[in-house]
Amino acid sequence: MTSEASSGCSEYQELSRRHFLQAGTGLAAFLAAHAWVPRVAYAKSHRGGARDVIVSIYLRGAADGLTLCVPYADNAYYSSRPTIAIPRPDTADPNRCTALDARFGLCPAMASLLPAYQDGKLLFVHATGSMDPSRSHFEAQRFMETGKPGDQSIGTGWLGRHLSTVGAMIPGAPLRGVGIAAGLQKALVGGPDTLPISNLDAFGITGPGTTLNARRAALTDLYNPTPDPLHSAALSTLTTIDMLNTINFTGYTPANGAVYPGNSGFPYAMKTTAALIRAEVGVEAVAIDVGSWDTHDNQGTITGSMANLMSTLSQTLAAFYRDVVAGNGPNVTVVVMSEFGRRLLENGNLGTDHGHGNVMMVLGQCVGGGRVMTQWPGLEPQNLFEGRDLQVTIDYRDILSEIVQDRLGNNNLASVFPEYTPTMRGVFTC
Amino acid sequence: MAYERYGSVLEAPGVSRRALLGAGALAAAFATAAKAQQATVHVVADTDPTSLLEKLVDRVTFGATQAELTLARSLGYEGYLEYHLDHLAIDDSACDAATAHLTTIGQPYLQLITQTSGFVRNELIEHCILRAAFSKRQLFERMVEFWTDHFNIDIETAQYYKTIDDRTVVRAFALSTFPQLLTASAHSPAMLYYLNNDVSTAGNPNENYARELMELHTLDVSGGYTQTDVQEVARCLTGWQIQLSGSTRGNFRYNNNQHDQGIKHVLGTTIPANGGQSDGDTVLSLLSTHPSTARFIAFKLCRHFLGYTVAPSVVNRVAAVYTATGGDIKALIRETLRPQHLAAASPKLKRPFHHFISAIRALGTTITSTTATRNRLNEAGHLPYAWQTPDGYPDKLDHWSKNVLVRWNWGASVATNGLSGITFDDATFFSGATTADERADRINERLFLGRMPLPERNRVRDYMLPNPVTQTRWRDAVGLAIGSPSFQWY
Repeated sequence: MTSEASSGCSEYQELSRRHFLQAGTGLAAFLAAHAWVPRVAYAKSHRGGARDVIVSIYLRGAADGLTLCVPYADNAYYSSRPTIAIPRPDTADPNRCTALDARFGLCPAMASLLPAYQDGKLLFVHATGSMDPSRSHFEAQRFMETGKPGDQSIGTGWLGRHLSTVGAMIPGAPLRGVGIAAGLQKALVGGPDTLPISNLDAFGITGPGTTLNARRAALTDLYNPTPDPLHSAALSTLTTIDMLNTINFTGYTPANGAVYPGNSGFPYAMKTTAALIRAEVGVEAVAIDVGSWDTHDNQGTITGSMANLMSTLSQTLAAFYRDVVAGNGPNVTVVVMSEFGRRLLENGNLGTDHGHGNVMMVLGQCVGGGRVMTQWPGLEPQNLFEGRDLQVTIDYRDILSEIVQDRLGNNNLASVFPEYTPTMRGVFTC
Repeated sequence: MAYERYGSVLEAPGVSRRALLGAGALAAAFATAAKAQQATVHVVADTDPTSLLEKLVDRVTFGATQAELTLARSLGYEGYLEYHLDHLAIDDSACDAATAHLTTIGQPYLQLITQTSGFVRNELIEHCILRAAFSKRQLFERMVEFWTDHFNIDIETAQYYKTIDDRTVVRAFALSTFPQLLTASAHSPAMLYYLNNDVSTAGNPNENYARELMELHTLDVSGGYTQTDVQEVARCLTGWQIQLSGSTRGNFRYNNNQHDQGIKHVLGTTIPANGGQSDGDTVLSLLSTHPSTARFIAFKLCRHFLGYTVAPSVVNRVAAVYTATGGDIKALIRETLRPQHLAAASPKLKRPFHHFISAIRALGTTITSTTATRNRLNEAGHLPYAWQTPDGYPDKLDHWSKNVLVRWNWGASVATNGLSGITFDDATFFSGATTADERADRINERLFLGRMPLPERNRVRDYMLPNPVTQTRWRDAVGLAIGSPSFQWY
């Protein structure tokens, strides 16, 4: 395993260098053929008025919103979760949450997000999600990602339709949407110039270096006449290889001393995404998944599996906040969501089963944060969805619609979220 | 110029007129594949089974080879299908020998756990790769693929148990009956552990397995169960656990002390109190005989063999066979692969595993280590047993169609002997072929059974010009063919 891994790596590195060496011919020709030029066209788009890049983070497996953002003022939360609840902020318990307001608190494993919250750039939305009652991970994820819950036939995703109904930020950009994944996430399906790329720093053609250009030419000819989906995938891939080769991911230094908690998985995905966004090459939408939130047993809200997941999540988001949002990077909106919440009542295995309402997070320069937006339905039995779960009182599409319209500059909400009339709830201040 | 060459191809020995006509049909089918999800594609329906032999070989194997086609031609459509359905009659001793070094594959649990989980996992993945590539029981292996996804278990979670599950559930019953397979899965420690049923007890039922049992394994998400059914099924299965100590450690264990003995109601059926272990048996019986299960299994089998969109009438026919035969898997496959169904089937995109294996098969590659293959599969997001969630690797065009780079790189590396442990003997492959045209014909014959669309064939040929061809160029050309649009479909 070691030999292949190392030889594969050096192969890529060699390719990267070779591409730089060939920049005089290959890259110049490529740039001449494509109307996009890194940095120049986009340089004045910082801050005011510019369209944001969206980073959409999906917590797969139904993250427990009652732990991510603790409803400490509800006695039912404590009576329903005798062993896994996070203690109130006004206790002496070392594991207590930190009050976000008079009702909600941030649990210890999420504490890294307090600075962004206190800066007013991080918003929690509670008792939100999809109105569809499905408790199936896979159906609920599909419904959320298509942007049309309940529709079994719609084939495209909300981010894909957003990209296809708005002009490119940088005309001719090779890559407008990217999923940090080996297979394209449903949310991005239908997006023009959109690819799944599991590692932005290892996207190159292998094989003998001496024939690389000849093989590229052959691949171009082979895929030119073939229909979609392979046609556009192939052409996007070829131009994206060149574009990514202009970015130094390995040597990327985050701004403001931000430190990502690791060089693999979600932290690495966010770090390389930051480098990609800061390179201003026309990427408009990034989808990133974080898995393993399906905590049916030994949930570990203080220490254990969910605490570990939350630590990585919050530390990474905090680093991204320092690096890109609070730094001098392009305008970015980050949204975090999950398919549904978990049951109020803990089960017999120190875990929770599938529930309904959940929490979302929105992070960005223009976010009116520092608060928990909610129409809190309460956790008493008569307030629960189907007698068991937190209700959904804010449709997740209200939040996404506001992002799409106000920050992504797309007024075609009827295309992005078909047959839905959103309620704009004032997520943003600019 | 390209079309002057076309003439020479027509007269090339070994390329039959029918194969060329077939190439046209295949190219046309590829051209319409993009629309496969939006509308049913009507490929010219030719129900003469003889003309469908190449297509049948494509669908029942992990990649057509000349040897398989020769076999299919000698046995005929039905004979070839029956040959593969009677998988135990196929002498697979060569593949057995090629996998004999994988000592953990047949070991009992107590022996497995004396080794590191990583070693045991890698042996299981290597076993999967080698069987898919080199077993003569190709249809069986494609059904192992199908059921491995259907009853997906993440090996990072289940660890040693997955080796047992592969042996005693998936491979034991892949061509048996669905109720037998379902029952075996419900008793599998890997599944019970993966979906938390091992800790589901009276008074504290865990719903995880109960829900996926109905949603993913039997009824389908819209198959007519409610949240109450999920909770009731969970109660029925309380006490279905794993033996954690003693000489039977790692085996299924029914723990009556932790079984909920109360009355239950599942899908409209009352299950009386004090049923003990039979409560779970009743649930499995209710589910495996449910019409929604018949339809769901039929639908998935049709998608597996026929394409992303299959006429509802075909699914209904297969579902009817499920009901009539009690879920006999061979009977379901026979019905699914009836010539008229296959004739109307639209092309499917090879998933990365299928694509990689089909290249290995077409090239006659020898493998002394699967390390490089495992790494590349991991990079492609398709390492066996590594999908985390219980829905299994997607069988969907959208998920896989945008990641072409891993396919190009597999071709580029495997054809140029760029991966340690994998050897492509290009001298033998091209034996007797010297010019660029002859070599392009050889590639067409071996990788496409003569059906490579001419523009693609000619572009690969042109890559090898001028004559005389260099080794780097002819190896590259094979890699390009593996990465070419038509090699992505089957």
